[in-house]
This record gives sequence, C-alpha cells and structure tokens, in this order.
Amino acid sequence: MSNKSLRLVWRQMDVQIRIRTLNWYTLLLFILQPAIFSGVGILLSRAAGNPVPNLVYTVIGGGIMGMWSGLVFTSTFDITRDRRDGTLELIVGSPTSLGMVEAIRTFTNVVAGLFSLGAAFLVAMLVFHYSLVGIDYVGALVSLFLIMFAMWCIGVFLANFIAWSRLTGAVADLLEIPVAVLCGFMYPVSVLPGWMQAISAVIPIRWALQALDASLLGNSSPTLLLQNWTFAVLLSLLFWALSRWLEGKVHDRIRITGELNSI
Amino acid sequence: MIRLLRRYLRLYVLEAWFSYRALFAWSTPFAYLATKLGFPFFTMLLFVFMGKFVGISDPLYIVIGNILLLPSMNGLGGVSMTIGNERQFGALSYLLGSPAPRGPIFLGRALFHILDGLITVMVALPVAMLFFHLDLAQANFALLFFCVLLIAFSSSGMGFILGSISLVTRDGWMITSTLAMALYILVGVNFPVDLLPGGLKLLAYCLPMTRGIMAARQALAGATWVSVAPLIYGEALVGVLYTLAGYRLFLFIEKRSMALGSLDAL
Amino acid sequence: MDSFAIEARSLNKTFTTKQGFWNRKTKTTVAVEDVSFSVERGELFGLLGPNGAGKTTTVKMLSTLLLPTSGSARVLGLDVTRDTHKVRQRIGFTFGGARGLYGRLTALDNLRYFSELYGLEPSVSNRRIPELLELVGLTGRGDDRVETYSSGMQQRLHLARALLHDPELIFLDEPTVGIDPVGARELRSMVKNLVAMGKTILLTTHYMAEAEELCDRIAIIKKGRIVALDTPAALKQRLSGDAVIEVQIKNESAALVLGCMQALDGQVSIQVTEIPPLQSISIRTAEPGVVMEKLAPFLNPQVIQGLEVRNQTLEDVYVAIIQGEKA
Repeated sequence: MSNKSLRLVWRQMDVQIRIRTLNWYTLLLFILQPAIFSGVGILLSRAAGNPVPNLVYTVIGGGIMGMWSGLVFTSTFDITRDRRDGTLELIVGSPTSLGMVEAIRTFTNVVAGLFSLGAAFLVAMLVFHYSLVGIDYVGALVSLFLIMFAMWCIGVFLANFIAWSRLTGAVADLLEIPVAVLCGFMYPVSVLPGWMQAISAVIPIRWALQALDASLLGNSSPTLLLQNWTFAVLLSLLFWALSRWLEGKVHDRIRITGELNSI
Repeated sequence: MIRLLRRYLRLYVLEAWFSYRALFAWSTPFAYLATKLGFPFFTMLLFVFMGKFVGISDPLYIVIGNILLLPSMNGLGGVSMTIGNERQFGALSYLLGSPAPRGPIFLGRALFHILDGLITVMVALPVAMLFFHLDLAQANFALLFFCVLLIAFSSSGMGFILGSISLVTRDGWMITSTLAMALYILVGVNFPVDLLPGGLKLLAYCLPMTRGIMAARQALAGATWVSVAPLIYGEALVGVLYTLAGYRLFLFIEKRSMALGSLDAL
Repeated sequence: MDSFAIEARSLNKTFTTKQGFWNRKTKTTVAVEDVSFSVERGELFGLLGPNGAGKTTTVKMLSTLLLPTSGSARVLGLDVTRDTHKVRQRIGFTFGGARGLYGRLTALDNLRYFSELYGLEPSVSNRRIPELLELVGLTGRGDDRVETYSSGMQQRLHLARALLHDPELIFLDEPTVGIDPVGARELRSMVKNLVAMGKTILLTTHYMAEAEELCDRIAIIKKGRIVALDTPAALKQRLSGDAVIEVQIKNESAALVLGCMQALDGQVSIQVTEIPPLQSISIRTAEPGVVMEKLAPFLNPQVIQGLEVRNQTLEDVYVAIIQGEKA
C-alpha cells in the first residue's frame, strides 16, 4: 500500500470515528443493544429454569450482535446521511472511488464494534465470573480476526447495495436480524431447522463464529477449526468479489438516476 | 363553542393525516412492510431460537409478546418521528410560528399511528397462526383489539416525550431506537415481567405497554373485560400521564427555544 | 492540447421516476435536451436560466456526477463518461447552499479530508490549505466547527474545497445564492482573480448583474434547451438600441395609457405588473422620444406616480428571451 493510500485510510478512519462513532449515542448503541439481547437471553434461561446462562452464546454472543448491529446501522446511516447532507456527491465527484471510501469506513465500523465485544467479555468475566481457563486462545483470536474480515467483506457489499438506491437501502437494513438469526449469534446453528442451516452455510460469519464458539468453549480441534476457517475465508472473498463487481454498477447507476443528493 | 370544537376537531384530524403522510415516510409498500412487519418478524425469530436453545420448546409466549409489541413501533417510533422530523425537514419554525393551537397539532400526531398499530396486529395474527399454529379459538377479539389500541395509545405517550427530545438533539432517533430495543426486555414481551430483578420490575410497571400486553395475553386466552379491568385502567392511566408529560415537555422546549433564540438552530 | 475547456455535443438527460404508493406510474422528465456549447480555456462562461431549466443538470453531467442519456461532452480534452477519473482530478465544483460539508468537523478537518480524497501530498495540502483559507477570507476560523459557520462562510469554504487540488476548470453552481451583497461582491472578486490566474470557470447564476459583470459569454437555458448564447453586450444588442421606460401609474388611469401605447403597436413591447394600488408598465422601445411624446398628456402627478427612462439591461433581455419574445 502506498503512502498516499495509507494516508487516505488514516484520514477516512479519523473522519469516520469523529463523525459517526465518537458520540454518546453511538457508544450507547454499541453497549446497550448487545446488553439488551444478552439480557433477553439470560432471562429466557431463567424462564426455562436455568439460573446460569451459557455465557459464550448469551453474553459474548450479545457482543457479536453489537458488532454486527453497529456495522449495519452505521453503514446504512453513513450513506443516507451523506445523501442528505450533500457530501455523497462530493465524494463521488472526487478522484477517490466511492468503493474505497466505503471499504475504509466499513473497516472502521467493524473495528469500532470491538468495543461491544470487549464490553461483553468484561461483563461475562466480572459479573458472571466467566473463566478463560481451557480456552483455545489461538483459535479464538484467529476466529475473531476472521469474523471481522467476514463482517468487513459483507459490510462493503452491503454499503454498495445501500448506495444503489433508497429501496435497496431498506432491504439492506432489513438484513441485520436475519443474518444474526441464520449465523447463530446467540445460539449454536444446530438449533435451526435444516433448511435454515443450509442457507446460513453461504454466510461467512457463521463459519468464523462457529470456530470462535468452539474455541471459547474449549471444544475446538484443528480439523474443525481449519474447516470453519476455510469456509469463512472463501465465502468472505466471494462477497468481496461481488462488492467489487457491484461497485462499478453502483457508480454508473447512481449517476444515471441522479440519486446522489436526494433523500 | 361548537364552532371552536369543530375547528379543533378538524385541525386534530387533518394535522394527524398530513403529519402521518408527510413525516412518517415510507415511499414504497415494500419499505413499509419491511419495517413494520419484516424487521419485527425476524427479531421475533431470533428470540424464538434463543428460547429453543435454553429449553423453551413452546415459542407461543414469545410469538404473542412480539406481536403485541408491534403497535408500540407506531406509537413510539412513528409518533416520535412525526415530531422529530419537523426539525429534520426544517418545518419546525413554520409550525411553531403559526397561531395554530398546540394541543390538536401535537396530540393529533398519534391518531393514525394508533390505527396503523391495530392494522399491523391484524396482519401479524394470521401469520402467527400459519407459522406457529397460534390458536385463536378462545380469543375475546373485541377485548384483544381494544387492548391493542390501548397499547398503541400508551406507547404514543412515550413517543411524544421522545419526539420532543428529538426537537433539541439531532441524535434523538438513536435514543428512540435504543429504547425501542429495551422494550424487548422490559415490558413482558419474551418472558413474564416478574422474572426481572427488583429495580427493573418496578421500571417495567412504570412503563406503558406492560399492563396492556398482560391484558392482551389474557384476552387471547378468552378473558372477560371485568377480569382485566385493573390492567386496562392502569394502562390507560399510564398512557395519559406519558402523553401529558410529553405535551408539557414540548411546550417547555418551545418556550425555551424562543427565549434562547435557538429555534432556527433546531 | 484542446483549445476548448468544455465541449458539449447534443447532451440529453432524461429522468425516470415512479410515483404513487400502490399503483406506481412511471414519469419521464426531460431535464436537458440537445444542449451543445463550447467554452474556451481561460474563459468565464455563464449559464443562466429559470429554476428547473436544466442548469445544474448540465453542470453535473459535465462534472461527471450524472451520466448523459445521450450526447457527449469533453472536458479539458477528456471524455466525461470514459475518462471519469482523469476528469475528476482536473476539475473542481461547488453547488450552491450550505450542504456538502461535515458540520461536526472543523473547516481545517474538512479541507484535510478532501485533500486526501484528491490525493494531495501533505506538503502540498499543508501549504495550500492556509493559502486558500486566506483567499476566501476564513483565516483564523479554520479551527471552528463548520456547523457554527454562517451560510456565506460555508459557501466560501466550499470554494476553498473546490480549489484544493488547483484545478484548471471550476464549475460554480450559484455560488452567491443566499450570501449578503458584501459577501457576494467579495466572492465575485475571488472569481475574477481565478480567471486572471488562467482558470476556466463555468458559472450558473440567477443574478443578472453578476452574470453581466463576470461572464465573457452567457448561454440562456430554458426548459432544458439553450435558447441564446453570446457575449452580454451582443445579447443586449438583440433588442438593439432598445431603451426601457418604466411608468408607475394609478390603476384607474392605466387603461388610458395602454390605449395610447397601442397606437405604437409594433414599435414597443409592453409588460404590465400589478403593484396595488398602482400598475407598473414597462415599455421597451427603440424610439423613446416617440413614446415620451405619447405619454406627455399624462405627465401629471394625478396620473403618473413614477417615471424612469433607462437603457435596457441583461435582465430585460433575459426576461424577454425566457418569455419567448425574442430568441
């Protein structure tokens, strides 16, 4: 990566953090929303007669929810706000491609989502005395990295999808929860009926998350991890390739319809 | 007097209709259905599977709770949007600079949202029958629909408060969003309110929707009006209190912004 | 090297929208139709027209933000649809109004951000940003958040943003809209300086005096089509030698005066505006002396409340053209 590109990355991340991320309400989103999902999980456990919840799925899964929700929310918000504020026009009219800008923003949003995950881990450890003994650290770290990579690839794809038109923006927004349902953010994928598991097989987050959960639960084996990681990487690259293809189409489409600056 | 009442009524209804159309903006049927039904349906699915994971084999409690929460999307989200969006679209100065009485123009904003809430539930119930084998044979429909209207009304009271807050902060809709999520845990949607820890249980009973949802569940099981009367009265009282609080807050913000000269900044 | 900075050939732009909620009907709007013109390098070219005439759509096609439905355009010798990236590196643009800046960031941050989007080296942007802030009169305000700026200041910041990468060609879409007269005068002075520096500028505006003061040539666009294109002096000559006599007259006497003017039918062009309790009659004529002779009987304060004889302005020509009198 050239110095120019690195500077662009740094500057875009800086703007993104200051505009979108570093305000109280976004931080509220990153903490409260996962807390709510985790809270529902814990209380459902109690309703079922289990006073001790499964911390990996219920609490840490809430952190993953926070990462994902934050990403979808900010990605939708970015484009909509840019359209409304007139900055989308200026970005498209610059020599830097919209795709590049969206890729950096999405990366920033994914990294910011670690805040949710960090908070979830803290709660799990401090409030519920979650123990890190027996965890496959390497497996967990690599899996976490692949979750971020998968979210980034899907996020960039969604950003292009959102930029296509206002209607597709509504569709992309709608995808937030179905992805969480299908990928087993807060329960193992085996809970789903067979046909839903088949659909989730094409989403890279599912495989990376399976690997993370196995690592955190101490159930991982090299074969299992490798299999999940391979699927995660390949599917992520597929989404990345789709975004690259879509990028050019989006660039032409928004200049045909003139939707660059309308709400 | 009659003329004045007629004027207020006309203003109330027209204001309700125009604000609903102008500010509660879904440009296509798809976007409408996606937000009103699609998002809640998938959120409900998430909770159903979470329940299944922990050993709750019968999802109907969760399904019913999520359906009964639907009117609150209109009440909370819709009403707060039709107030907060005045700021967004730059119409606030013109609205507040007009001589129109504040009561009808403010309170009218809930009317069509309340009706919309009822329609949403009427669409969702057959879906639940189809996918989750919800049995409505015992249901007291009149009481059920009344409870739904009541839930929409009382949640619109909270919507008024949040909408007024949206007038002074550009991030008001984020607060609304987060609060809407919090309802899944606080008002007896996915599990009985009695499972909540002490402080949260008290909060739950101070919120709109809690009693309404309890009453509606009983109506689905065939309860009579008399048996749920305390819950209905309680819900109505909470709704009125929240509405009045929202109205007072709106008036306060209006006066304050005029004193500080911040109406244009709004 | 192309001598032309801009060459537009039969540009067309049609928008298709859907209306309605359930039964969605397709509506087609022709925003720009068969627009052709050229702009020389170093020229300040004006594009005038009523609201919705197609000025901004034309500018957006030339600045690569919209794809033409048909036709072609070359900017600085580059095709706007095929060489989009190269065009964007060499042009700057501003659109009127306060939108298009990140309000939560300072002016400096906004400029630094756009510097990176335009690929400027830090050594270049660190030098240019203070220079540009000084050029647009925002020295000392760089560290203030843009949301605290007045609309005039935001407009000036937009100009600074458009000049960051030292473009050869600049599109200014209504740059003085919403700006006070003093601010507008300063902005016009900046625009003249840019032209003196060798920049080419395409300007759209509603303000006739501004167009007349700044532009080397003007194109008037109406309902998506160019209906006139010439220098300001030549455009005024279209209504050659015409003087304008403005008469404010009491309503009850207006019919009498207009009756007299009818005798001069063919020699005058009359426009009547109601300004209760008066009517304002604007008489355009090549023979002001003849008209004044006809008006002489009415020259008493009971009838005529105001009288002005002047040379016609660009605004008169513009109004005449837009209203279809002469093209």
